[in-house]
Amino acid sequence: MQKILETFLIGLSTGSIYALMSIALVLVWRSTRVVNFAQAGQAMLSTYIGFEIATRTEIFWLGLLFAIAAGALLGAGVDYFFMRVLFKHAVSGPAAVVAPVIATLGLLGLIRSIVGLIWGGEFKSIKAPASTDGFTIGEKTIPFSPLNLLIIVTVFVILISLAIIFQRTNLGLSLRASAYAPEIAQLAGIKTARTRTIGWAIAGGVGGVAGMLVTSSNFLSPYSLDLLLVFGFIAAVIGGLESMVGSVVGALILGIALTFILNYVGTSLVFIGGFVVLIVVLLVKPDGIMAKGRARRA
Amino acid sequence: MRKKLALFIFLGWILLLVGDRIDELRVYQGAQIAMYAIALSSIVLLTGYSGQVSLGNGAMMAVGGYSAALTLNNLGSPVWFAFVMAVVVSALFGAFLGAAAARLSGPYLAGTTLALAVGLPEIANQFDFLGGVPGILFDVGFPPARFGEEFTQYKWFFWIATFIALLSLFITSNILQSRYGRTWRAIRSNSLAAELSGVHSGRMKILAFTLSSALAGLAGAVMAMTISLVAPGAYTLALSFALVTGAVLAGVSSLPGVVFGALILVAIPEVADVLATRWGGDENLNNYLPGLIVSVLLILSVIFTPNGPGEKLKRRHHKKA
Repeated sequence: MQKILETFLIGLSTGSIYALMSIALVLVWRSTRVVNFAQAGQAMLSTYIGFEIATRTEIFWLGLLFAIAAGALLGAGVDYFFMRVLFKHAVSGPAAVVAPVIATLGLLGLIRSIVGLIWGGEFKSIKAPASTDGFTIGEKTIPFSPLNLLIIVTVFVILISLAIIFQRTNLGLSLRASAYAPEIAQLAGIKTARTRTIGWAIAGGVGGVAGMLVTSSNFLSPYSLDLLLVFGFIAAVIGGLESMVGSVVGALILGIALTFILNYVGTSLVFIGGFVVLIVVLLVKPDGIMAKGRARRA
Repeated sequence: MRKKLALFIFLGWILLLVGDRIDELRVYQGAQIAMYAIALSSIVLLTGYSGQVSLGNGAMMAVGGYSAALTLNNLGSPVWFAFVMAVVVSALFGAFLGAAAARLSGPYLAGTTLALAVGLPEIANQFDFLGGVPGILFDVGFPPARFGEEFTQYKWFFWIATFIALLSLFITSNILQSRYGRTWRAIRSNSLAAELSGVHSGRMKILAFTLSSALAGLAGAVMAMTISLVAPGAYTLALSFALVTGAVLAGVSSLPGVVFGALILVAIPEVADVLATRWGGDENLNNYLPGLIVSVLLILSVIFTPNGPGEKLKRRHHKKA
């Protein structure tokens, strides 16, 4: 019983990091209709910047702040300098449908190579802001650590602030409106292009946090965030790619499920587990758990 | 059809003559070009014709490579049978995956195949019968003795790879010009209109995915032959990226373009090597310059000539006329 509870809590902490990544993907998908595979690269570059700050100043939270800022700038930059140009050029022909996806892929490769050229391929680690030794209850030490708790709390705070932005501010309203019906939003006086760039910036910042949090209990390399991208994507698919709430729920389910596989079956099956979840969701409920009757395959 | 067959046989004959006159390294690179040409044709079929994006063709190559090696090592079968098994197993794998993902559009397929490309090497690391990190040997053996002493191993690879490439390109080109090719293009340009004309678009997409996987698996087996080994490290995400880049450079819907794309993919590491040495030969430069070149090429070509360099030329030609 105790082991089940511990696994559940650790899964919650893992899943909450996936939630950030999947929110970043969903945000961009809703506004631009592209699954932004470069998100892993953007998050990685932001994390490297956060890593530099955190190691030099020895303050994790300052690093996190810089990672958020870097991620936001990078996200806005990618949309402004890259996606806009792309949508202007690639409009017709056999490749028009696939061009944006391929472009984000190229961007992921570009960022990865640049990071590799600057920092090299060796593993870096960021000093965790809290102890990674488990809590001690009475005599026993459980695997759930203060760091796990801190991750859950941090993600929770970020999710709450996102919810406030989206539900209670004008910016949030225009973000939702231009994702839902860009033309009508534009007619209503919303600068949809600018709003989209802001959406990319928010996604980038959230991705930066995800990168920093993953790295605080793991190592950082030019490839270390690929798995986070994949799990973030699976979580977003569970949620239906459209719904932010759905993607958070999907991420928590996925995180908990994978941690149970890790603790009860073995390391070798974690990835296969994630992949099976993806295939099953695609076969059984391709519109995600949040779909309300209407098919929303784009 | 008969004319095309004659053309392919003529091409093969020319390649044989060329293979005799160039040095060992070029012969080896010739085999690599043939391998990439097969792999790129799998993307042309899938992306250029049926309009789906797969980021996991590198993983499909791994499936083909492992099935070929396992067949050869465990069954003691002739070499040609190992290649056939590579095609069959990866086609089955593709059909299964296609059934799950291909009836869904764009982002789902792209994401699922990306997940596969990221995860498959890790999965291969975990299972003993797949040889773990060092991988398993795939040895097609020495060239037959009747070719004489002069006939080198690399030339043997070149012969096999070129033969397989010509054969599969011939078959692929015929499929693309058949009813299937036309149907795929119809689905790609307007799937609703295609369905109204009686096309079962889901089934056709799965078929495209299956054939594409089969081609990728074949390429994977050829690649395993050229490095005599199947290991997770050979089929990385970077390989999948490189394939997409090669296909976009080739012009995603041009089958003859794959030779051009393959040539560039083989040339990039060489160019990067020369540049890295000239700029100081730093370790990071050596490791990441090829990736940088690939990504910059991919980004530039997808922005400026998303339908391949051939399209611009054609359009210019039209304007003049």
